[in-house]
This record gives sequence, structure tokens and C-alpha cells, in this order.
Amino acid sequence: MSNLKGKRIMIAKPGLDGHDIGAKIIALALRDAGAEVIYTGLRKTPGFIARVAVDEDVDAVGLSLLSGSHKELVAETMRELKALDAGDIPVFVGGTIPVEDRATLIEAGVVGIFTAEMRLDDVVAELARRLSPEQAA
Amino acid sequence: MRPLDRRALGRALSRIANASVAESLAGMQGTSPNAYRIGMTGPPGAGKSTLIGRFARRRLDGGAQVAVVAIDPSSPLTHGAILGDRIRMDHIADNLRLFIRSLASRGANDGLADNIADVLATLDSYPFDEVILETVGVGQAEHAVRSLVDTLVLVLIPESGDQIQAMKAGMLEMADVYVINKADLPGADKIAREIRAVLKLKQRVGASWAPPVIMTGAADANGIAALDEAVSRHQAYLRNSTNTEEVQRRRLEYHLKSLMIRSVAEILARETNSTAESLHAAYARVVESLRKGIGR
Repeated sequence: MSNLKGKRIMIAKPGLDGHDIGAKIIALALRDAGAEVIYTGLRKTPGFIARVAVDEDVDAVGLSLLSGSHKELVAETMRELKALDAGDIPVFVGGTIPVEDRATLIEAGVVGIFTAEMRLDDVVAELARRLSPEQAA
Repeated sequence: MRPLDRRALGRALSRIANASVAESLAGMQGTSPNAYRIGMTGPPGAGKSTLIGRFARRRLDGGAQVAVVAIDPSSPLTHGAILGDRIRMDHIADNLRLFIRSLASRGANDGLADNIADVLATLDSYPFDEVILETVGVGQAEHAVRSLVDTLVLVLIPESGDQIQAMKAGMLEMADVYVINKADLPGADKIAREIRAVLKLKQRVGASWAPPVIMTGAADANGIAALDEAVSRHQAYLRNSTNTEEVQRRRLEYHLKSLMIRSVAEILARETNSTAESLHAAYARVVESLRKGIGR
């Protein structure tokens, strides 16, 4: 089902963990749902990620985090986006996010948290719901 | 140099890339060609993105403000795409005089992207000295990119041998500079010899530009320097000799053609999506209007 057709979505890995299989699986799932996915590779700084998001004018930024530093890195990426006048670009998060940290991330403005136990179909459907104004209305 | 408003440029490019034909026409603002355009094309896996990363670094070091537009194919089934070219250019991505934009080819089947002519025109209204256009191409695709750029670089690898056979007719008369990348692989000298031989046959009497064939490799800085120098030499050659009217004519022709193709795609999507009438009725109606003639 191509319900992300025409959406430009960035998948990025901030920080120091070196495992990107999850990020790649999500990138492929989004592509198969019709999205144009910009994958930026491992170990990027929040500043770099924000700048690429601005140059590419993406509809959403997905951060994959397995390092345990998600609270800091997510907050910093969102700060960097705001500094570039791009605070309106929605940020979603995936990886190993403990249940007790989720409220903090949601409060910080993250639009979705996707973890390994979720079905890919559900992740795609949830993102499509968040990114399509006609469905959000 | 005027600093780039990256947020504004990023947004402008999205608007342009998503524009319908009507929107493109409404937004058309006769920008004059500004940046020097370099096209880099070649088969998938030839190492174009990595090569562009190294090439762009030299241009940036020379003081230029550079935009890279990298096109990757969209899936015809899902319309999705993985845009991964910029990952090969990470080592220069911190340079603020560089702007990289990734585009999916969407409906275009000429190796370019749907609204590429408008995208390039938009870049012309920003302060770039050079625009590098990366596209996958073997065969037909070179014609399209040829009409949009000033200097066309064709990137091949030693394994491209079989493709050379197929391309001798069309492709080897198209580029201004030839690169044999991954030249440390076996067969590099052979393919370079073959290309030089074909080029020699095709060299027209009195032609003042003889396309160079340059060998490059990941561990070899001289190759990149030679490419940099060859492109600059061609740029200087164009400055002295180009028939700018001819260049303009080619670009306008491409723009018109792509506007028409996009119009047809829009009509087709509209007609075949209509639920009010059966597909057969829609078919009959479109055939009828084709009979009456379009574009008059």
C-alpha cells in the first residue's frame, strides 16, 4: 500500500552505536510504502542531521537510537532543527527506548516512538497518519 | 559571496519538484543561466557519487559555491526510492559552500527527474558557481542530460566493456570528458584504449575539442586532479567557443518536451482514475480528443 507516496523521509543515526540494520529495515519499509527515503549512514551529529534535513527539506526525520543516549541526542537534534528555522519538521524515534523514557520524548515533541516489537505495517500506517494533513484533520 | 538561505532554497526546491504543469507554468520566471553545469552520468555502480564527492571537494577548495543534484530511480511499482548518493559525499558535507539535494526520478524515464529543468532553473536564482548533476544513465539517458548541462562527464568502469559495445553508436558521441573509474581493476587499460579508438573515429574534421579519457581510482589523487583540470579546460573552451543560442535552444526544447510529457501523464492519471464513467468510455473520449489533435 503506497500511503507514503511523495513523502520525503530522512532516516538518521545520531551518536555512537554502530548497528544500522533496524534503520535500514525501516528505510526499506518506508520505501515500499512509497516514500522517498534519505538515509545518511552511521554516527552523525545532531547538527549534521539537522542541516541535511533542511537542505533536503524532508517531511519527517526518523532517528534510530540504540546507544541509550536517546534523550540527549533527540533533544539536541530538535534544538538544532529549531536553530535552522526547521522546528516544524516532525521527528520520530526508533530503536531501544525504555518504556519509562517515552513520556519524556513525547513531551519533547517527538511524534512517534517505534520499537522492535512493532509490526512494520503498523509503523508505516502510524507515520502515514501523522504525515498526511488530510487524515490528521 | 551572498550566504545561502538553505531553508528557503530547500523549500523552494520541494515546491518546484512537486509542482503540476499548471503550477510550473505559473511559477516560471525567465531566469538566465547562471551556474556552470556539469553532468556526471554512467551505469549503476560506476562510483559516480564517490567520484563527485572527491571532484566537488577540489572545486570547493578552488573557492566555488557548489550545488550537487543527485537523482536516484523511483520504483515504478511503489513510487518509493532510497536516495543514498549523498552518503558518499559525507567528507565534504560540512562545507557550507556546498548544497546537496537528492531527487527521485518519479515518472521520468530519461534518467532525470520529472521537474528537473525547473529545479535547475531555481538553482540559477541562487548564488552557485557550479551545479553538478548526477544521474544514472546508459544509452538514451545521456541525450536528456546532455541538453541540460554545459560539460558532460561519462563515468565508466573496467567491467563496462560489454556496455561500450552497445553504446558506441549513441553514447560515445555525447560526452565531453570520459572517466574510467576503479582504474586499478583489471581491464582498465583495455577499455580506455577502446574508447580512445572509437572517439578517434568519431572525431569530426575541424572539431576543436578532443574529449580526454581519464583514469581514476580511490587511492589515486592524480586522477581526480586530472578530471578537475579537464573539466576546467572544457569550461574555458566553452567560454571561448560556445554558441550560447544553441545551448539555450537545446534547453528550451528539453523543457518544452518535459512539460508536454508531464501534461500527458497528468491527463492519463486524471482520465484513468475517473470513476464516473467506465474505463472504456474514458478510453473512447481520449482517443476522440487525440483525433482532433492536441497542442493546436
